[in-house]
Amino acid sequence: MKSKKAWAAAGAASLAVALAACGGSSYSSGSSNNGNGNGGATASKVFTYDTYTQVMIDGWDPATEYSNGIIAMSNMYETLTRYNPVTRTVDPLLATSWTHSSNGLTWTFQLRHNVYFHTGRLMTAKAAAAAIMRTKKLNGGASYIWGAVKSISTPSEYTMVFHLSEAAPLDLEASADYSAYIYDTQAAGPGGNLTKWLNAPHDAGTGPYTLQTWNNGQEFEVILKAFPKYWGGWKGQHYTKVVYRVVPQDTTAAQLLRSGQVNFVEQLSPTLWKSLQGVSGIKLASSPSWQNLLAQLNSQALSEPIRQAISYGTDYQGIIAALSGAASPSSGIVPAGLFGHFSDLPNYSYDPAKAAKLLNSAGYGPGKKPLNLTLTYLAGDSNEQVVATLMKSSLAKLNINLQVQPLAWATQWAKGKSTSPSARQDIFLEYWWPDYADPFSWFTNLLATEKQPYFNLSYYSNATLDSQINQVESLVATNRSAASALYKTMQDEILQQAPIVFLYNTDYQYAMTNNFSGFSVNPAYPNVIFAYNLTPKS
Amino acid sequence: MLTFVARRILLAIVVVVGVIVVTFLVAHVVPGDPAATWAGPHASAAQVARARQFLGLNRPLIVQIVSYLGGIAKGNWGVSVHTHRGVLSDIMTAAPATLELVLTALLIAVAVGIPLGLLSARRPGKPADQLVRTGSILGVSMPIFWMALILQLIFSQRLKLLPAAGEYSPGLLFTHPLVKRTGFPVLDSLLGGNMPMFGSTLVHLILPAIVVAAYPAGLIARMVRAQVLDTIGETHVLNVRALGFSERQVYGRFTMKQAWPPVAAALGLVFGYSLVNTFLVESIFDWPGLGSYAAASIATLDTPAILGVTLFVAIAYVVANLVVDIVQAAIDPRIRIR
Amino acid sequence: MTDSVVAQPVQPAVPAGTPGGRVSRREVTWRALKANPLLAVGGTLVLLIVLAAIFAPLIVPFPGDAGAATHPFSVLKAPSGAHLFGTDQVGRDILSRVLYGTRVSPVIAIIVLAIACLIGVPLGVAAGFLGGWVDEVIMRVTDVFLAFPPLLLALALAAVLPASLTSLTIAIAAVWWPWYVRLIRGQAASVAGRPYVEACRALGVSRLRIIFLHILPNSITPLLVQVSLDVGGVILTASALSFLGLGAQDPVPDWGLMIAEGQSYFTPDWWLVTFPGLAILVTAFAFNLLGDGLRDLLDPKRSLIS
Repeated sequence: MKSKKAWAAAGAASLAVALAACGGSSYSSGSSNNGNGNGGATASKVFTYDTYTQVMIDGWDPATEYSNGIIAMSNMYETLTRYNPVTRTVDPLLATSWTHSSNGLTWTFQLRHNVYFHTGRLMTAKAAAAAIMRTKKLNGGASYIWGAVKSISTPSEYTMVFHLSEAAPLDLEASADYSAYIYDTQAAGPGGNLTKWLNAPHDAGTGPYTLQTWNNGQEFEVILKAFPKYWGGWKGQHYTKVVYRVVPQDTTAAQLLRSGQVNFVEQLSPTLWKSLQGVSGIKLASSPSWQNLLAQLNSQALSEPIRQAISYGTDYQGIIAALSGAASPSSGIVPAGLFGHFSDLPNYSYDPAKAAKLLNSAGYGPGKKPLNLTLTYLAGDSNEQVVATLMKSSLAKLNINLQVQPLAWATQWAKGKSTSPSARQDIFLEYWWPDYADPFSWFTNLLATEKQPYFNLSYYSNATLDSQINQVESLVATNRSAASALYKTMQDEILQQAPIVFLYNTDYQYAMTNNFSGFSVNPAYPNVIFAYNLTPKS
Repeated sequence: MLTFVARRILLAIVVVVGVIVVTFLVAHVVPGDPAATWAGPHASAAQVARARQFLGLNRPLIVQIVSYLGGIAKGNWGVSVHTHRGVLSDIMTAAPATLELVLTALLIAVAVGIPLGLLSARRPGKPADQLVRTGSILGVSMPIFWMALILQLIFSQRLKLLPAAGEYSPGLLFTHPLVKRTGFPVLDSLLGGNMPMFGSTLVHLILPAIVVAAYPAGLIARMVRAQVLDTIGETHVLNVRALGFSERQVYGRFTMKQAWPPVAAALGLVFGYSLVNTFLVESIFDWPGLGSYAAASIATLDTPAILGVTLFVAIAYVVANLVVDIVQAAIDPRIRIR
Repeated sequence: MTDSVVAQPVQPAVPAGTPGGRVSRREVTWRALKANPLLAVGGTLVLLIVLAAIFAPLIVPFPGDAGAATHPFSVLKAPSGAHLFGTDQVGRDILSRVLYGTRVSPVIAIIVLAIACLIGVPLGVAAGFLGGWVDEVIMRVTDVFLAFPPLLLALALAAVLPASLTSLTIAIAAVWWPWYVRLIRGQAASVAGRPYVEACRALGVSRLRIIFLHILPNSITPLLVQVSLDVGGVILTASALSFLGLGAQDPVPDWGLMIAEGQSYFTPDWWLVTFPGLAILVTAFAFNLLGDGLRDLLDPKRSLIS
């Protein structure tokens, strides 16, 4: 599952780029090149990514990873295609070209030649197919993206033919940030247990970096080193090591950035971020993302009028003002920049009078019975804390007592998935972002009927919506305008029934040292830095 | 002497057993579900039930306590729910960093507290005394996590004199990597002749150690002052003065010797106190010790880990007090007759 | 928590040159107060804090901000005329919250210490007066609890209870009572050993009478001193636990919680952390001064020259 919360939370995800070479300022940025002295060998160029929470919390299996780990995995593993936010289509990566039949049921991919796994084996069509089928079989993470794949045939060494049970935008799905990695299924040897081998840990990817050390639960948690036989080659200046450093406090992370001990800070509180403006040696980047903050309302415990009342009773503008720059208004469930976004939807605005009327019709509200609700959010996330506090305050005016509970991700999620409904929360704050550049992820994960709660933590069940969800992705592959219209209809319905309050869209606020170039934001891979694409400056 | 030592050790063991039982009882009242945390995010209800069985959470209380006691004695402190490794091994990995911090802080506290206490006692009532007294009361009134943030702001960000966080400069990870011998970065770098790393670890130790040293320094200064003032008024010291010994000798040879026992006892007390105080500052200084481990365990409701850390610190505290008691008894026979 | 000072030889409190060598009690007290700046300063500060706590709703500029009120359009404002201590991350006036905070930690301290006394005094009397196996059992149990550094056990307890002020109070009280057992036991034992008490027993005076007429009155002074010395310690412990997220929850204006929330904004928006921290420091300092002063004044075993 995506613990988007887990890592989107908290203040300081700092990318600590420890450039041991040039650039580090002040007393303790470590020794420079002079220390080494053995003729000819250049010092390691190290990129340190500073995050605020443990990186590899979901294990090391690229098939089932659904959490923070992608910040490291995206440097060790690659996908067939990669999304390009500028052209809004996918670029070739491990696949060099692809075609599909007119009915969308057959897709043919040509793979790149002479790509080697870190295990030494050649990546062939058979190897890639084995990886995808295994991922699908394990049914973890975002493996639903391969849901339409019936089988894969490999007519030649580098050709993969996908046979689908229904049309699907496979090229887009193959660029997903989860469950789309191509890895060596033979890595554990004949009869070996691949999951165990991977969790040792080892990596079986094709990417530019490979695992050097894993210090579980410690400060310098993951260290990657360059893979010499990477198919992209190592011409020019590249980082030779990538370090993931865990720094729980964002004030500390900001200070580490100022002193050059970290190179990239993933997320800081807006104030801290702004305070770094104009500081020499530091560069700021702000960009819209595909991440939004949602409040999932327990639709089994709360009736529709109450849910609508909560939607009217939330001060959206106030929240955005308080977060000064980290948030922008949302329209419907799909963020701007994605197919399926519409700015003319019947969104809610802050209207306490309407909210009071709706509550009164249910016997609650000002002057009537008080309503006691619980809200859970991710402990340590200063933005979520502000949101929770503001919601508590605005709902208090409607005679709703909101009890606010900060919890660690695993605890919050366990509570939401409780088998006994009385143990569950009324409001679940959560970030979400898509698995691939498409609205489908929101609907299938958050709103489709679930027998046992998983991510649908509004416990929402709507048969009409379910059948729409089943149709829409095949429409995307065959009739885009029909798909677009269907997504609009679905969003209208969701807004009307209000199982989710759409609080805001996140704007990334990144801070980094300016001793490297090549950085760009790719919202399809949230908070992922492809270190290979960076050029350290000397 | 031997009977005294034997009695004290026996008492300490009884206390430790009591500590283990109390800790276990405390942790038995758990609001979250450790089985669910253990089973992980992908678990189904059946997997959670299996986890509950695996963790032994469905046996009667007494059985759990006895089995836990037995396990502790054998070195099996349970498995951490959030790292999935043995709690004892997690603690052993994290403990050196905290111990290094506490011991350095105590060193600073003693080096600062004793001379200040002496200074204060030599001229009671004078400005120096008032200053030291006020300072030491300030020291014991200081919210340590606040002090850490303020000092970090002043010395690291504004004055750029000291590093903000971490045990050593990260660049050295690759150029002068640390070879683990004892687990204490300062010692290991010294033993390995790794001078750049040694310097870096020392520099990174300064700020956290000063913060942790505030309370013990204040305490020790007060104790030394009180002890010296009391002893100075006693007859044998008046005699010694009358006999013509210099002021320095009066204070040094004849007074300080009496001052040691309570100060030593206080050191045992502040060792335990400071161990726990580091919990509050480790996250601020990104110090990978017990405090950071405890914080992660609390956030994930990792009961075995919380139990383990509590136990470890309490046992360390009991041992520290035991050592202090025995050393004091060795020096001063009057103590043995209690 | 508190440092203990070894018993001192008694020195008569007679000022030199007084005719006849006798002075009234009031004279002695007044002179002691004058010579004891700690007590004067500490007492004044504590009085101010108590007054602030009582009159908070009247003197505070934005009383609603200590509760659920928020002002999202004026967040993180630096200290200015309108907001002397600035505003926090949801726009609440920090001065108001800091002042209201005098109703939180000190009140917790009082409740904790009251509980500690309620448990500690009876147990201490029983142990010291009755002696024997009662004494042994009580002291062993006390030893076990004293084997935990105070914050540690409170932390473990608070971590397993649902986070709230109530849990916090219970956790700290559970850790503080052993000290009072020890203190009272010492008093009870020493009084019980005195000849006049033995005489009373010989005459058939009931134990209860002895407890209420002799032991308890003798214990009041050291108890009072200990309580005033402990208030600072409890306040520090409570704010530490709230800082860790284990005690007060938003929007309670607890100083430790305010520092924890303000951390993320710290270096640029320094006022969120600085003022609540100063409040903790000043309050603990005031009570420690008061406690020290009281001890100097009331504890007859202390030498007056120190």
